[in-house]
Amino acid sequence: MNKLFASIKKQPIWIFVLACFVFFSFASPYFFDTGNFTNILVQASTIGLIALGMTFVMINGNIDLSVGATLALAASLAVGLQPELGITGAVLVGLLSGILIGALNGIIAWKTGVDAFIVTLGAMIGVRGLVFIYTGEESFYAQDLAYSDFGASEVFFIPVMAFIFIFMTVVSHLLLKYTIHGRNVFAVGGNRAAAKEAGIRVGPHMLFNFIFVGFMAALSGILLSTEMGASTPNLGRDYELWTITAVVLGGTRLTGGYGSIIGTLGGVLAIAILRNGMNLLQVPSFYVLIILGSILIIVLFIDKRFSEQQGQGVGA
Amino acid sequence: MKVQISSVRIIQHIGKISLLAGSLTLGLSGMAQAETFRIGITQNNVGVDSYQTTYEQAFKDAADETDNVETVVLDAGGDVARQISQVRDLIQQQVDVIIIWPTDGQAVVPAVKRAKEAGIPVVVTNSNIAEAGQPLIAAFSGPDNIKQGAYSAEMMCDQLGGKGEIVQITGQPGYTTAKERQKGFEDRLAEVCPDVKILDSQPGNWNREKAQRTMEDFLTSYDRIDGVYAGDDNMGVGALNAAKSEDRADEMIFIGATNFAVGYEAMARGEYHGSVYQSPAEDARNALETAIAVAQGKEVEKMSYFDTPKITRENMDEFEKPVF
Amino acid sequence: MKALLDSFRPGLTNREITPLQFFGKHGITIAFFLCVVIFSLTTDKFLSTDNFFKVVMQASIIGTIALGVTFVVIGGNLDLSVGSLLSFATVLVVDLHDKVGPGMAIPLMFVFTLLIGSVNGFLIGYLRLNSLIVTLGMLSAIQGITLVYTGGKNVDISNDENTWFDIFGRGDLFGIPVPALIFIVSAIVLQVVLLKTSFGRKVFAIGGNGTAALFSGLRRNRLVFSTYLLSAFTTACAALILGSRVMGSQNNVGQGYELLVLAGVILGGTSLLGGSGSIVRTVIGVLILALIQNGLQLLGYPYYSQWLVTWVVIIAAVWLDIAAKRGKLFSSY
Repeated sequence: MNKLFASIKKQPIWIFVLACFVFFSFASPYFFDTGNFTNILVQASTIGLIALGMTFVMINGNIDLSVGATLALAASLAVGLQPELGITGAVLVGLLSGILIGALNGIIAWKTGVDAFIVTLGAMIGVRGLVFIYTGEESFYAQDLAYSDFGASEVFFIPVMAFIFIFMTVVSHLLLKYTIHGRNVFAVGGNRAAAKEAGIRVGPHMLFNFIFVGFMAALSGILLSTEMGASTPNLGRDYELWTITAVVLGGTRLTGGYGSIIGTLGGVLAIAILRNGMNLLQVPSFYVLIILGSILIIVLFIDKRFSEQQGQGVGA
Repeated sequence: MKVQISSVRIIQHIGKISLLAGSLTLGLSGMAQAETFRIGITQNNVGVDSYQTTYEQAFKDAADETDNVETVVLDAGGDVARQISQVRDLIQQQVDVIIIWPTDGQAVVPAVKRAKEAGIPVVVTNSNIAEAGQPLIAAFSGPDNIKQGAYSAEMMCDQLGGKGEIVQITGQPGYTTAKERQKGFEDRLAEVCPDVKILDSQPGNWNREKAQRTMEDFLTSYDRIDGVYAGDDNMGVGALNAAKSEDRADEMIFIGATNFAVGYEAMARGEYHGSVYQSPAEDARNALETAIAVAQGKEVEKMSYFDTPKITRENMDEFEKPVF
Repeated sequence: MKALLDSFRPGLTNREITPLQFFGKHGITIAFFLCVVIFSLTTDKFLSTDNFFKVVMQASIIGTIALGVTFVVIGGNLDLSVGSLLSFATVLVVDLHDKVGPGMAIPLMFVFTLLIGSVNGFLIGYLRLNSLIVTLGMLSAIQGITLVYTGGKNVDISNDENTWFDIFGRGDLFGIPVPALIFIVSAIVLQVVLLKTSFGRKVFAIGGNGTAALFSGLRRNRLVFSTYLLSAFTTACAALILGSRVMGSQNNVGQGYELLVLAGVILGGTSLLGGSGSIVRTVIGVLILALIQNGLQLLGYPYYSQWLVTWVVIIAAVWLDIAAKRGKLFSSY
C-alpha cells in the first residue's frame, strides 16, 4: 500500500483520474456501472494505442504530429483493399502503411537532423493528401460483415478493442521498463550527445520508435474501422493533438528524458472519463471545449509545482 | 512490477462493486421508463454553421413543449469516432429512442446495429445513412439532399437559358451532405441541360471565406463564367463577394442551397438567383415527432422527407427570412 | 531600408562560401522564384499583376499572423492558439460592428484579443509553463469561448454596402489591395523592430541558448509576455482583414490556421529552438505556400495535391537550412 501511495505521488494524474471517477459516480446515475467502464475503455483505446507509441517518441525528446493522418491512411487501405486482397491481406497492408510512414519520418529525422516537429508537421499535411488521393474523397465500406463483427466481438467478456488496448499497454510498459531499448529511450531523451558517447546508436534507436508509433497509429485506425465497418478520409483529424495532450497529462516531459506508460494510461483515462462523464451529464459541447482546455493547463501547472517540489527540475 | 499487481487487484475489486451498482441502476431506469420517454440525440457538428445551431435550439424547444419527453442532447463535433462513443453512452443510459445525425453515412452503421441489438430503435435525421444500414433503422426524417442538388440544377438551367459554362463550389470533402448535393446537381444538370458545362469543382468547406478564395482562383482561371453553384448559401455569398470585388458578378447566375439569411438578403437585392429553402426548425421538429411516434410504438413512414422548395426572386415573398 | 537589405545578405561575404551554405542561405528565395518561373511557364494565367496581388491578398491573413508568431518562435516558444484566436477576434469585431458601430468595435476587439494574448503570455512568460501545451489548451478553450459568445450562430454585418469597415478587406490604396498593404507594411515595421531595436535583439537573445543567462528572470518573463502580446496583435489585424473581406464570420473560421501559420514560419527558416529567424523570410515562406496553392489550382490539379507538395517543400527547405549551418548534408547521429 505504501508503494502504491509512493507511485501515485509520482503520477499526480492518477489522483485526478480518481477524483473524476468519484465525482462522476455521484453526479450521474449511469456512470458507475461495469457496462460504462468497458465503454470508457473502448472510447479510450483509439487515442490510447497511439499514446503508447507516442510516449516512446516523446521521452526521446521527439514528437509525431502525423499520427492522425497515418491512422486515416491505414484505415482506408485496410477497408478499401478488401475486395482485392481479402480481409487479412488488406489489414496487413494497412499495418504496413503505418510502419512505412513511421520509417519515413524516422529516417528523415535521423538523416537530415530536421526537428521531428517539422518533419511530422510536413507528414501530417502530406499523408492526409495521400489519403485523399487514394480514397478520392470517398468513404469505404467493408462488404464482408465479418470485419465489423470483429469490432463488436468480445474477449474474456470485454470488448476486443479494450482488450487489445490493455494488452498493448502491458507490452509497452514491459518494453519501456525492462528492456535495454527501454533504458535507451530515457538515455537518448535525457542527453542525446551523451547517449551517443555511451555507444547508443541514436539514429536507428529513434527510427525504431517512429516505426512503433506509426504501427500503433495504424493499428488504432484499423481497429476503429472495424468498429465502423468503414473508413472515412477525414478520420483522425486533431487526434495528434489529443494524443499529445494525453501523454503530457501523464507526466511525460516534452523536453524528453522523463515519462512512463502508467502515467500515459492515466492521461488517456483522464480524457476518456471526462468526455464520458460530461456526455452522461449532458454538458453542452461548447463548454466541454473550455473545460478540457482549462484542465490541460491546470494539470500542467500542478505537475510543474509537484516536480519542482521534488527537485526534479525544470518541468516540461 | 509490484505496482502493477496491486493495481490489477484494485481493478478486480472495483469490478465487483460496480456489478452490484450496475444491477441497481438498471432496476431504477426500468422503473422510470414507464413514465416518460427519454430520447437521445447525437448531432453532427453544432456550432460549425448556424443551421446546426438553430436545429439544436429548435429541438430543445420542441422537447420542452412536449409533455413526458426528456432529451439527452449530444454533439459529435464532426468526428465519427466520437459519435460512435456517444451512441454507446446513449445505449448505456437506456434511452427509449436514439436520433442520429450521421457524421458519415457509412461509418455509423455498426453503431446503429449495436443500438438495435440493445433494443433501442434509431431514427436518422437530416442526412441519410448508407444502404446497408437502412434495414436497421426505424425511420429517416430530413431533407432529400440529392433532390436538392437536382432542384439547384433545374434553377441553374432555367436561368441560364439552357447554355453556359459554370463552376461548382462543394461542401466539406468527404461528408455525405456535400457528396449527395454534388451528385444530385451533376446528374440532373446533365439531364436537363446537356449544354451547360461544369468547368471546375473545388471545395469551399461550408466556409464563406474559403469559398471566396476558391472563387477568386476560378475568376483568374476562367475568363468566362456564366454561373456558380454552391453547396449552401453561406458559400454562395462568399462566391458572390469575390465576383463583386472584380466587377464580374453581373455576368453570372448564383445558385445555392440551404437558404441562409445572407442569401435571402442578396436575393432581395437581385444579386443572387436561386436557392433551396430548408428550415432547421422543421427539420428538428420532424425528427422529434418521428422519434416520439417510434417510442410509442406507432407505425411511422420509413422515409419521411420534409419539403424543401426552390426559392427564387420571383417567389421569395412566400417565405420568411431565415433566422440563421 | 538597410535593415531590409541586410536580411537578404548572407553576412559571410568576406569568407569562402560553399555551395551548401549558399543554398542554405538563399534556398528559400531560390525556391520562391523557381515557383514563379514554373507556374509562369505552365499556365498563362499565372503571371499577371492581377493574379500577383490576389496571391498576396490571399496570403495576407495567414501572413500577418505569421509575423507575430515569428517573434514568439524566435523567442523559443510556440503559439498554436492563433487559429482559435483569429476566429474569436473576427467573430467579435463582426458582431460588435452592428451593435456599437465600427469605430467602437475595432478598439474593443483589439482590447479583448490582446487580453487573451496576455493570458498566454502570463502562463508561458511568468508561470513558465510549456508553450506547446498551454497554447494547445488555449486553442480548445478560446474556441469554446467563441461558441458560447455567439451561441454557435454565424455573425453577419447586415448592411455591407454602407460601412467604411469594408476598407480593410476590400479596399484599394494606390492601386494596391488594402489587405496586401497591411501585410507588407506590418512586415516592414516588424522587420525593423526585430533587427534595429533593443526589443528585437533581446527576443533573439532569450531564444538563443548560451545568452539566456544574460537576462535576469524577470526581464526574460516580460519579454516572452510581450511576444505573445505581439502575436495576439497581428492576429487581431488579420481578423480585421478577414471580417471585412467576408462581412461575416463563422465560429470556426480560423480552424487549422495555426498549422498553416507555423508552416510558413518554419519554411522561412525560423528555428523552432529559437534564437534565429527573420521576418522577410517568413513573408517569403508564407508567399511560397500561397503560390503553390494558387498555381496548382490554376493548373487544374485537385486541391489535395498541394498538401503533398507542401510536405516535400517544408522538409527540403528546413533540411537545406540546417545542413548549411552544420556544413554537412547529413546528420552525424
